[in-house]
Amino acid sequence: MRKLVAVIRREFVERVRSRAFVISTILGPVLMGVMIGLPLYLTGRETMVRRIVVLDGASGTFGERTQKALNEARVGSGGGARERYAVQVLRVAGRIQAVRDSLIRTMGLPKGPASGPDGLLILTDEALGSGTLTYLGSNVSSLTDMETLEATLQGAVLAERLSRAKVDSVVLQNVAAPIRLEKAKVTNGRVSAEGAESSFFLSYTVSLVLYFALVVYGVQVMSSTLEEKTNRIVEVLSSSLTPSQLMFGKVIGVGAVGLFQLTIWAAAALYLTMNLPAILGSIHVASEVPTAASLPAVGTDLVLVSLVFFLLGFFLYAGLYAAIGAMCSSHQDTQQANAPVTMLIVVSFIVSLFPILNEPQGTLARVLTFVPFAAPFAVPLRYSIAPLSAPDLLFSVLCTVFGAMGSIWVAARIYRVGILSYGKRPTFREVARWIARG
Amino acid sequence: MPEPVISLERVTKRFAGHTAVESLSLDVPQGGIFGLLGPNGAGKTTTIRVLLGILAPDEGSVRLFGHESDGRALSARIGYLPEERGLYKKMRVLDHLIFLGETRGIGRAASRAKATLWLERMGLTAWSARPVEDLSKGMQQKVQFIGALLHDPELLILDEPFSGLDPVNSQVMKDVIVALAREGRTVLFSTHIMEQAERMCDHIAIIARGRKVLDGSLVEIKRNVGGQHIALGFTRNASEASRILQDRSLVAKLDDYGASAEVELASDANSDHLLRALVAAGVGLCRFELVEPSLQSIFLSAVAGDSELSTSQTTNA
Repeated sequence: MRKLVAVIRREFVERVRSRAFVISTILGPVLMGVMIGLPLYLTGRETMVRRIVVLDGASGTFGERTQKALNEARVGSGGGARERYAVQVLRVAGRIQAVRDSLIRTMGLPKGPASGPDGLLILTDEALGSGTLTYLGSNVSSLTDMETLEATLQGAVLAERLSRAKVDSVVLQNVAAPIRLEKAKVTNGRVSAEGAESSFFLSYTVSLVLYFALVVYGVQVMSSTLEEKTNRIVEVLSSSLTPSQLMFGKVIGVGAVGLFQLTIWAAAALYLTMNLPAILGSIHVASEVPTAASLPAVGTDLVLVSLVFFLLGFFLYAGLYAAIGAMCSSHQDTQQANAPVTMLIVVSFIVSLFPILNEPQGTLARVLTFVPFAAPFAVPLRYSIAPLSAPDLLFSVLCTVFGAMGSIWVAARIYRVGILSYGKRPTFREVARWIARG
Repeated sequence: MPEPVISLERVTKRFAGHTAVESLSLDVPQGGIFGLLGPNGAGKTTTIRVLLGILAPDEGSVRLFGHESDGRALSARIGYLPEERGLYKKMRVLDHLIFLGETRGIGRAASRAKATLWLERMGLTAWSARPVEDLSKGMQQKVQFIGALLHDPELLILDEPFSGLDPVNSQVMKDVIVALAREGRTVLFSTHIMEQAERMCDHIAIIARGRKVLDGSLVEIKRNVGGQHIALGFTRNASEASRILQDRSLVAKLDDYGASAEVELASDANSDHLLRALVAAGVGLCRFELVEPSLQSIFLSAVAGDSELSTSQTTNA
């Protein structure tokens, strides 16, 4: 036991003391800030005014209404908001085809004084009836552009249809007033203060952090094992330590470093989210995505569940990474050999993320809760959306503990033989024999 | 006779495709220096790994200090310097030694005290707070050596301790080993450098191809070899001498180095015949001495017939 403590202490102290740790700890939050902030900043900055020419071949006020709706569309909110579209309406009754063709020739050219509009919107009476409008533009591949344009046109089309049905203009105004959905999350039979968006944001962040942590620290266990092998220190160590002491010491030591670093980052993230509006304000960005700015309410139970499953997941995967490190003799070897483990993590993560976000109480979500490889992602994710029942949670922990024990058992057997074998990477058959013989 | 410190009983260790050690029995008596000799690939390192418990034998048993237990459980009483040396490059020297002491099972404080003492003795105090990678290769070797013995082991196992050492460090290490043996500790070291073994060892065992071919105390072994051995040194006409030494009626075994030679006389010849023949042929002699057989020649005749030896012999001689 004392020897194990010595191994853990060495692993922890040497890692925390290393320059790499200090740099990654400082750069982590910076990167995190950039990852959250940059897209917001860019969406705010980069959204150019779209120049749209409306070819109005329709009768009545359809063109006017469309122009008005487009003119009223804004980028951002509050003081920083500005116009989204620059609109020009051409009344082209009967000449639509000709004007269209001549304008298209000027479109999609490199920006310059000669270049034409970003898009053409063609309005006809038939379109109003069928609801199928034509837009030709250089920005049709931008999903956000198209969604906002559709939403904007929706209002105009609706208003024009009602107006043609002779609906009173006052009624029209009332009908056309936009709606807003006030969302609130219900947990444990209570309405919680947090909104659905911040809840999504939290779930997403929790599973993303778990995913990154497992890969990053798992790979550290692997390269640390390999390092001991390549610099031959393992020979001296294995004369006084059992392979399991070596492996557990390493896994626990690296895991402790991971927890330590995550704690630092969590504190940084908390600070960042609490002060995000102020920070964004200082760089003059009007946030279009309010989700990031609202601080999600994180219950201690969620923190606890995330922590437990991070640790279980870490033991499950880090053992396998240690085994991979023990099997290999060079970094080139590990790059290939770790692919199955990394794929396992990636697949478990993706398979858990999307179905659960969509349908947190669905069958797939429930099944994933009890699959040891997926549970470390699935359970915290499900829990952040809606707490699991106590038996489910307990059974899930049990499944994952067994999974982790199994993985550690296999890993320890590979490790025991692997750390003293050099040269060619063992074949699958040889590894199987190591596991079988022990 | 006191219980041997190490006792191997018909130990066999096989790896995929070949047998590294075959039915090897060996007793290492307490105290003194024991040399485990053998050509490259003879199974010395495997034997050491098995007796330390790093590898489990496929057959046979290992007893250390009279116990059936694993070398790891007794690690506080055993020091080990492997042939493949390695340290954590980024770790500070003192921290590293403390860690090695801890893994051997002695406390942190004791480990620190011993490490400090040894660093001072080896003249490395100024380097104790520096990372290992800043040290020269020779200094790193000293650090490794300290790591093997800072916990005051009763038994010190050194695998090829002198390989890669410069003469100065080699001397330092030799002095420490001899001093430890004088204190009553047991030192087992493997080597293929016979001169070193001959000067240092009280007992030797020669293994080749995983089997023991000879063991016992050096004095006994030399006595048992028998025959008359003569060491020769030539000043001129060495080629002439070489021709005479080929004469099977005079010389039974020849180890010719060009400017010198070691021979075993044929059973019915005597030294006078040889001397007369050499002088008559005009060979200039600076040495003509009746000697004990050298360990080198004992070794060569013991492992003769080992085909692997033909290559290793030239590099080791």
